Amino acid sequence: MIDTYTRMLETVAELADAPAADSAVHKLILHLRSAGRLRMLPQIVRELRKIAARKHALRPRVEVAHEKEATSALAAAAARGIEAPRALVNPALISGWRAQKAGILVDRSTKRALVDIYQNIIA
Amino acid sequence: MQSIIERIEKEIAAWTPQEGAEEVGVVRAAGDGIAEIDGLSKAVLSEMVLFDPTFDRPLTEALKDPTPLYGLVLNLEEDSVRAVILGDASKVYEGMLVRRLGRLLSIPVGESLVGRVVNPLGEPVDGKGATGARVVRPIEREAYGVIDRAPVNAPLHTGIKAVDAMIPIGRGQRELVIGDRGTGKTSIAIDAILNQKNEPALTRPVCIYVAIGQKESKTAKIVAELSERGAMDYTIVVTASASASAALQFLAPFAGATIGEYFMEQGKDALVVYDDLSKQAVAYRQMSLLLRRPPGREAYPGDIFYLHSRLLERAAKLSKEKGGGSLTALPIIETQEGDVSAYIPTNVISITDGQIYLEADLFNKGQRPAINVGISVSRVGSAAQTKAMKKVSGKIKLELAQFRELEAFMQFSSDLDAETKKRINAGRRMTNVLNQPRGVPLPFEMQAAVIFAAANGYLDSFPPHEMSAIETKLQEYLTREAGGLLTAIRDSKEISEETETALRAALAAFISRHAEVA
Repeated sequence: MIDTYTRMLETVAELADAPAADSAVHKLILHLRSAGRLRMLPQIVRELRKIAARKHALRPRVEVAHEKEATSALAAAAARGIEAPRALVNPALISGWRAQKAGILVDRSTKRALVDIYQNIIA
Repeated sequence: MQSIIERIEKEIAAWTPQEGAEEVGVVRAAGDGIAEIDGLSKAVLSEMVLFDPTFDRPLTEALKDPTPLYGLVLNLEEDSVRAVILGDASKVYEGMLVRRLGRLLSIPVGESLVGRVVNPLGEPVDGKGATGARVVRPIEREAYGVIDRAPVNAPLHTGIKAVDAMIPIGRGQRELVIGDRGTGKTSIAIDAILNQKNEPALTRPVCIYVAIGQKESKTAKIVAELSERGAMDYTIVVTASASASAALQFLAPFAGATIGEYFMEQGKDALVVYDDLSKQAVAYRQMSLLLRRPPGREAYPGDIFYLHSRLLERAAKLSKEKGGGSLTALPIIETQEGDVSAYIPTNVISITDGQIYLEADLFNKGQRPAINVGISVSRVGSAAQTKAMKKVSGKIKLELAQFRELEAFMQFSSDLDAETKKRINAGRRMTNVLNQPRGVPLPFEMQAAVIFAAANGYLDSFPPHEMSAIETKLQEYLTREAGGLLTAIRDSKEISEETETALRAALAAFISRHAEVA
């Protein structure tokens, strides 16, 4: 039941505008109250938070070592189906870029290359 | 130094960036050795994943702890997967990247594992360096089917008179060793391993002792004993101690079976001891509850029977076409207050091909091994028993059962007729002959000769309480004076008419000589 309500709110949040979503939440609360199931509300909120955290973790993301690599990195990532609005600068990459989306990772950074070589040597 | 530089240069030259994309997930929550992972939508059950601490750390920090940390996917859920962490769970944190490895949990196997002590992941824990095993096998696999199997027809001698005579075990059989704590279950298994030294090197089984949830000190003691007696030359020890994670304790028997299967597939015989499956069941229950699987009877998950049946079904005697190898399993189960009708004992009893039931009362009376012959049984072993052993041990089980009844009756009556007294004395004598201290397994030809003597009345002139001393003298006598006879029994595996005549003569000579000395 909790799962169904959560999915419904998630769908409304994705498809409808803000007032419509507010209205859906309001109607859900009224429904839960009339059905005597208002105690479900905290659990529904918890599930929605989980979904939001998952979406945040799996959002499209492109990282580059230097600002100057951003354009080419965004293009290369887009060619592999990962489209992000902008590239984040992460100096830990040393050079190159990496992109992530919904559980897919493309890593073309020097850091990854060095870690791979190091692990191959010590294995 | 030059070689190190060359090695590094070679690795750099050989390195090429991964062309494709890889599948990754992110740890949403971790605790109690379980990680909940978002992503990994294409992960499969029992797949290995790698927790990658290098992803979100600067290079210098990332290389500080290069030990890979693996996980095993055990729950596939709608939006996430749950995996057990195979290692230090405290290193897994929220937001950590997890990579799919695209292979089922596998361990290295091979001849080079012989003599080594490894953990359930095949990593050495004996401080002797890398094992050098190169062949990698998944630890979960389907057991061989009916067509690939052959009937169990070769004996696996344990060196324990009571077992080899009354509850014989065949190569490829699954024989449960069950009993309360401290009744000698492990001793039977260790004696069986030690006894394989008496087998010809060509047909000697490779032994795998799997210690599950045991104290490290107990495992160390067993390894020391096996090394001291030269048994580590053909033995591998897999250990997941009491302090190891529940996941490793759950995996240990499967790792043992995988190692055993490797030897079986080479056409060799292997013996694997699971010590003990009660602790594995408890570890699996812990994991299942943490994975939020619904609990069933005694809070065990619904698939606890399948856990043990799929493990024990891997014991097999392969057909000639498949190389003719075998994997014999000796699972051990600990009972509480002798209750064999508890959940896990009944499950494993129904899966195995028989059981050796050890009783605390018999143990306390001084009987070693404390086997209750009444409810111990081997369902397929008699087909594998040698003709020699069959000949000498034919009626022992029945006679001992009758003796137990009479013994119980005797408690209420002190006035017994001569025939009953004779039977009781014979029973006591036979019980004492079958008594055997731990760590002294006997070659089967010696067992056959001793039991022949007891069953054919050669020892009737001695009081039952002297049996142990007489038996020792008889063994010494036979080794010294009738070595050829023992060799004949060992080679032919039977007691022919000719051998029987010679054996009777030797026994008569021993009796007369002993009477003279007395």
